[in-house]
Amino acid sequence: MPLFTRPTSLALPILLTITLSGCSVMRSYDNELKQTVDLVGQGQIDQALTQHEANNTGGDFDLLYYLEKGELLRLKSQYKDSAGAWLLADQKVNEWENEAKVRAGAILENVGAVLLNDKTRRYDGHDYEKVMLSTRLALDHLSAGDWNAARTEIKKTHEREAIIAEINAKDTEALEKESKEKGITTTFKDLNGYPVETLNSAEVTTLKNGYQSAFSHYLAGFVYEALNEQGLASPGYRQAIELQPNIKILEDGLATLESRPSLRKPNETDVLFVVESGAAPALSSVTIPVPVIVSNLGVIPISFPVLHSDPSHTLQPSTVGIDGKDTLPLAGVTSLDTMSKRALRDDMPGIIVRGVLRAAAKAMSQKALMDQGGGAAIAGIALNIANVITESADERTWRTLPATISIARMTLPSGKHDIAIGSSKQSIDIQGSHAIVVTRLLGNQVYWSQPAFGPQMPVYTAPSAIEPAKNIDGSAIKKSPAKPKKKKAKKPVQQAQG
Amino acid sequence: MYKSNNALKATVIALLLSGCATQSPTISSGNVEYGDSKAVETLTNEFGSTDLQSIAESMASSLLQSPALFEKKRPLVTVAEVKNKTSEYIDTKSITDSIRTKIVKSGMVRFAVDTSAMQTQVDELTRQNQTGLYKKSKSKKMGNMEGADFRIEGTITSIVKRAGDVKDVYYKFSLQLVDNESGTMEWADEKEIRKTSNKSMF
Repeated sequence: MPLFTRPTSLALPILLTITLSGCSVMRSYDNELKQTVDLVGQGQIDQALTQHEANNTGGDFDLLYYLEKGELLRLKSQYKDSAGAWLLADQKVNEWENEAKVRAGAILENVGAVLLNDKTRRYDGHDYEKVMLSTRLALDHLSAGDWNAARTEIKKTHEREAIIAEINAKDTEALEKESKEKGITTTFKDLNGYPVETLNSAEVTTLKNGYQSAFSHYLAGFVYEALNEQGLASPGYRQAIELQPNIKILEDGLATLESRPSLRKPNETDVLFVVESGAAPALSSVTIPVPVIVSNLGVIPISFPVLHSDPSHTLQPSTVGIDGKDTLPLAGVTSLDTMSKRALRDDMPGIIVRGVLRAAAKAMSQKALMDQGGGAAIAGIALNIANVITESADERTWRTLPATISIARMTLPSGKHDIAIGSSKQSIDIQGSHAIVVTRLLGNQVYWSQPAFGPQMPVYTAPSAIEPAKNIDGSAIKKSPAKPKKKKAKKPVQQAQG
Repeated sequence: MYKSNNALKATVIALLLSGCATQSPTISSGNVEYGDSKAVETLTNEFGSTDLQSIAESMASSLLQSPALFEKKRPLVTVAEVKNKTSEYIDTKSITDSIRTKIVKSGMVRFAVDTSAMQTQVDELTRQNQTGLYKKSKSKKMGNMEGADFRIEGTITSIVKRAGDVKDVYYKFSLQLVDNESGTMEWADEKEIRKTSNKSMF
């Protein structure tokens, strides 16, 4: 690799890169977002938004700016503004997709990141963030009542997953080849002092991967079902089960898919309760001495990212109260806390290889300058100081995402219902054949969403459920094309089998 | 003579040029190309356009040879659901739409609205009959919809196997024609597709 042929020639690019990318190198994303998340946890969304804008000035906003902004606006129930911010984020992810398809397998060709650190790389988002972006955009559209736009985002979610899978496979292959060539055999388990247990727990290792979530696929199933596309709903429910096996609500989603339309009466609504808790984990930097075999440079300190769970991430409510009488169990189906750990676990080989190459490049250029003496030695000292200052891991991650997502599902008579989660209660007007009620718990706050009017199409999927046509004033017309058959009376509130 | 030759040349050139000018202008950055929509696509071994087209083609031609469709003059058919039993997001409606289009073009059968189009059908009838905007004599009456003689229904299943770098996907698309009154199956056919990919090929 030409990186190691002329060490002194690297000094200037390194210093220049440090100077040019000063802001992104010195910025502590962890500190900035901790304050923002704390403000949201205290119910101060407006202040959180103001602070977010103050932290991001200059006009050329990155992906992360739009991701966090969209989430804050969503919590304010400004669904269209939130979708606007997220669609700008989506454009950036699209750019990444287009480039990544061409670049796949050239994982180490970003010279800036090899020379300096991962913070200098353009923020492309973690894979699970790209997938969650589409899922959350779908939720925005659903909250705004646009089920067809939600369908577009849902479709994008699984197309994006396929692209990520393809790129990851090629990158992994390239990385393995590179590690072999450079003789880098270090894994995260060899990093003395690294909290290995955060990436090595059973819940992290049993995940299929770090970017596919059972919630995204269950939501896909629900949206397709609501739009009367059972052929697309079934793979949604099926994939949710494959990603999180042995969860009853997920299994019921598929098992009763065909019978559900005939069980639901025209004046009933199939309601999906989505309860999001906590905030996604923070990334901080830890510096660990690593033996660098490349050019026999000895032991060099290298920075690595460490994930810290939001302390409240395990505090999920276990039930949803309906009208003070029914209690519906909530099932945790997706943990973004665990997914982010799995994503970091999968990213670690790349982080280690880039870290080792970077450390080797820096050490060699500094040594070469010092050996020359005079002015060059001063430059060498400057470079050493710069290296110490800039050597920290990339702390950027979508922090306002929830830590966990739980769901419950029930068929309720359409109309107003008193919904309770923990000690918080809210009157929710549920209309249409399908509705989604999303609630976010963060800090001491509960953020409720009022569902917009849902679709009505599935009424016609079951002969027994056809409602007689009505006049404009709502009275039944005398000659109805299809009389509803008399059905056996059901309980007014009936828990959906899925 | 020389002059008239020049005039002839000028006329020919002018005609040629004007011929060029009648073509539609093209705006291109050079990065986008139109491709053949029927071209064989083997980008990945997930369900793709070639699979959709080959299923639609083979099912439509097989169905059009079914004796059941000849017994009655232009029987009325509806498309019921094609159940997707795979883990892939395959738009089965898109497949049945293609099959239906091919069959309709043959002129042998008529199609009744299926369940997915029922809402639009009811909305239209309601609009004509209940909004007070239409002449009673000119509006289409409620209660005159025709029930289909046959329904088309089916399933798509898949078996996915991985061994090392090799991924093998087998799809089976089954379709059947059922007589709505008697409940008898009048025709059935299957289309099988096998796709194998090898990582080392990329």
